[in-house]
Amino acid sequence: MAAVAHNTPDAEISSSLEDYLETIYLLVQEQGFARVKDVARARDVKAASVSIALRRLAELALVRYERREYIALTPSGEQAGRRVFSRHRLLTRFFEEVLSMPSEAAGEQACAMEHSLTDDAMDRMVRFFEFLGTCPSVVESFRQCPMVQDSKRGPHMGQLPHSCVVCMKKKESPSMSLGDVKPGQSAVVTKINAVGALRQRLLDMGVLPDTVIEIERVGLGGDPFWVRCQGARLALRRSEANSIMVRPAD
Amino acid sequence: MFAAATAASSIFPATEIRVALAGNPNCGKTSLFNALTGARQHVANYPGVTVERRSGSCDIDDRSVSVIDLPGTYSLSSYSPEERVAQDELTATPDVVVMVADSTQLQRNLVLLAQIMQTGANPVLCLNMADEARAAGQKIDLPLMEKLLGFPVVETVGHRAQGVADLKRAIARAAARPAGRSRLVLGELMEQALAAIRPLLPARAEKIFASDWMAARLLAGDREYGKRVQSMPGGQAALDEAKRQRERIEARAGVDIAVFVTERYFGFVDGLLREVRTQASTADARQLTDRIDAVLVHRIFGLPIFALVMYAIFWLTFKVGEVPMNWIDSGVHFLSSQVANLWPAGSTSLLRSLLVDGIIGGVGGVVVFLPNIVLLFLGLAFLEDTGYMARAAFLTDRLMHRFGLHGKSFIPMLSGFGCSVPGIMATRTLENHRDRLVTMLVLPLMSCGARLTIWMLIIPAFFPPAWRAPMLWFVYAVGIILALVLALILRKTLLRGDDAPFVMELPPYRLPTLRSVPIKMAERAGLYLRKAGTTILGISILLWAATAFPKPTSYRVDAEIAAGRIVVAATGHAPSQLTEQQVAARRAAENLEHSVAGRIGHTLEPVFRPLGFDWKIVTAMMGAFAAKEIFVAQMGIVYSIADTDKGTAGLRAVLARDYSPLVALSMMLFLLVGTPCMATVVVTRRESGKWGYALLQLGGLTGIAYGLSALVFQVGRLFV
Repeated sequence: MAAVAHNTPDAEISSSLEDYLETIYLLVQEQGFARVKDVARARDVKAASVSIALRRLAELALVRYERREYIALTPSGEQAGRRVFSRHRLLTRFFEEVLSMPSEAAGEQACAMEHSLTDDAMDRMVRFFEFLGTCPSVVESFRQCPMVQDSKRGPHMGQLPHSCVVCMKKKESPSMSLGDVKPGQSAVVTKINAVGALRQRLLDMGVLPDTVIEIERVGLGGDPFWVRCQGARLALRRSEANSIMVRPAD
Repeated sequence: MFAAATAASSIFPATEIRVALAGNPNCGKTSLFNALTGARQHVANYPGVTVERRSGSCDIDDRSVSVIDLPGTYSLSSYSPEERVAQDELTATPDVVVMVADSTQLQRNLVLLAQIMQTGANPVLCLNMADEARAAGQKIDLPLMEKLLGFPVVETVGHRAQGVADLKRAIARAAARPAGRSRLVLGELMEQALAAIRPLLPARAEKIFASDWMAARLLAGDREYGKRVQSMPGGQAALDEAKRQRERIEARAGVDIAVFVTERYFGFVDGLLREVRTQASTADARQLTDRIDAVLVHRIFGLPIFALVMYAIFWLTFKVGEVPMNWIDSGVHFLSSQVANLWPAGSTSLLRSLLVDGIIGGVGGVVVFLPNIVLLFLGLAFLEDTGYMARAAFLTDRLMHRFGLHGKSFIPMLSGFGCSVPGIMATRTLENHRDRLVTMLVLPLMSCGARLTIWMLIIPAFFPPAWRAPMLWFVYAVGIILALVLALILRKTLLRGDDAPFVMELPPYRLPTLRSVPIKMAERAGLYLRKAGTTILGISILLWAATAFPKPTSYRVDAEIAAGRIVVAATGHAPSQLTEQQVAARRAAENLEHSVAGRIGHTLEPVFRPLGFDWKIVTAMMGAFAAKEIFVAQMGIVYSIADTDKGTAGLRAVLARDYSPLVALSMMLFLLVGTPCMATVVVTRRESGKWGYALLQLGGLTGIAYGLSALVFQVGRLFV
């Protein structure tokens, strides 16, 4: 993240210059040095083209190049190189790991994309990728989502429903109460709508958000409810169960 | 802030240690209290509210210890009278607060401990029912727990009195040192808020007003405490800060304050248990309970089983009670004949009459039903102690609720079968005032133990043995059905409004503790006997006087003998031929008719004629208002005057001779529904807070009784 949070001369360099910078950075990282012919080979261009680019990079004080064989990165050049490279790596990983593209295609897409993003957009994307890294369940549920992964149907374009079948259930949960849960089923408390003495009683009994409640039985005629909560058994009326909002247990 | 009171007691080690026992309902607190205090206990009521106050005493190393058993509560938030009482007792700064926890339910039980710790109390934690928890595989590192909490922790098995010595030592240990700083860990957000509110709390003599608990209550927006603090100088600043902190927390935590605060308590307990519970329960301690519940609260069989259980309890009361009843009956008989023999045969001494007919006859006729009362309370105690009572509320709530009552109305109403007075007092468990009023007003329709004495007299007198149990069942059923219908009418008219929470714990089944049952029985028997020895004795004498005075100057039977219309003979069969005893009976009957009671009975007789009552029944009914069981005593006196044969059997014989079974039915219905006894009316007035409700109960029920009895008698006459 620090690599991209940078400003001034970088903003002026072109995408091809960025590619050169990245190549030099990588070569230095890999073999400890970079020569014109290495760069030419890596980028599949003529040595002359490399020289022109190097001259411009030197003007921007990113490399030290005095017509000698060896190219050295200035501190700001190294920083810029690292930044370009991390963008590239991040995008490659995104295409490869999250979107499940073959690694070669992922690299190509990364190269095509990395220069067209502004620093700000890139910064925001990095934050998002970082979030994906710390919260793998999101990627997991994306992979498992039956609607998104249904390859036969192709892209939904504008017709994608607001949420998939799995998420629909979760989204619906605020409007589902314990009173809707069938005997023998469990649910997780999301919210307690009761007020006053009933609310306090429920809280005292351990009916709290994220607590699992199982309906063990209901009385004759569907009332009262006999539930299991925090290891204890509680009896509550249907009207009271209706004031406890739940989502289905996982 | 904590030290003052307890430091003083360590300077004077001979002073009494005041201990309060706190805990959740069903944590075995009362049996532990019994194990601690034994028979040295006293039950009374808290003034103003109707929660039982159980206190007792014991000795620890020659120091006397007074123990108060606080009402069982899940928390200290002041929504129910029990919670308020518990709070007030804790505010009264006992030297040591013993927090009794059900070891099999530590997660929820210890939330109360957290709150008690906040009050600045000097606690001892008592992990009760340790045997059950151990059997389920749970292991607690007691020394570590003690170290983390900073106060003594002991394990006990209350109903077997195990660990009581440890508990006593722990109490002594806690009393010997001042309460330490609470080691409650509630998380940064909560503690910052409490620290911000605490210095602003108004300085008061009661330490609770300076405690973290008070800060937490204000933070949670407790209205009751809010009002009290607001009225104190500087209180507004604390309230403002509490509001600021509340808004801050709600914005940060994204949940409302009540949920947040409760979650902190549960969080503390969770953290504590994670440290000290070296092994969680491996077996489900509820397994057996679940299996029993599968049968007892079965969808289809649950209610029939419940009906059977109730029937069995009445059978026990009626059938098994007969044996000791006969002993008492013959004892009373023996006593009265011994006293009567102090005078020469045929003596008309007033003192002899007062002793034999008034005192021994009156009180003895009531004491004879003691076995019934004790057995009925034994049955109810069994239901309560096993945990079946809560199942009964589960099974009955739908029905009760349909009639505007609460599942918890069920328990007071069930107590009403013992006596309306404690039943009405037990309505305090209902949190909603309206629910309480409805329950209270219809509760006298539950046939009480005193009325059982009437049924015990009337039913065997008029009905063949095969009919007796069903007849008793019928009387109880009529009372219950009427109560439900009236409750519904009240809820739809005078007492409309929202329902109070039903949420109720269903505790695991437990064998009733054999230790507490005799104590409970002795308590009830004592209450009953005290009533017999005081109110009933007094009223018996009054009624005896009312039936003895004024005496007529001459008797019609003597005039008829003098005129030769009646001949005194050895055997009296014809109306004109009477034995000596029959002449004496005629004289006595005239005597009663001439007396105050007889005159009132005569005056009111026309009013009650549509019900099939004669003046004798009306005279006895007047006694029934004083106390239902007086009806039996009164009938006894009425007929001991008209008949030389004494005892229940003799009374039954004359009743069967004088009245038809239809009159008996009409009489029973009137006694069941009408004129709740004086004590009931007085208690209803106290509990409802208004004479209006008490008079509504008295007038309404008597009116309904009159209508019902008249209907039954008039319709019945067409068929019989």
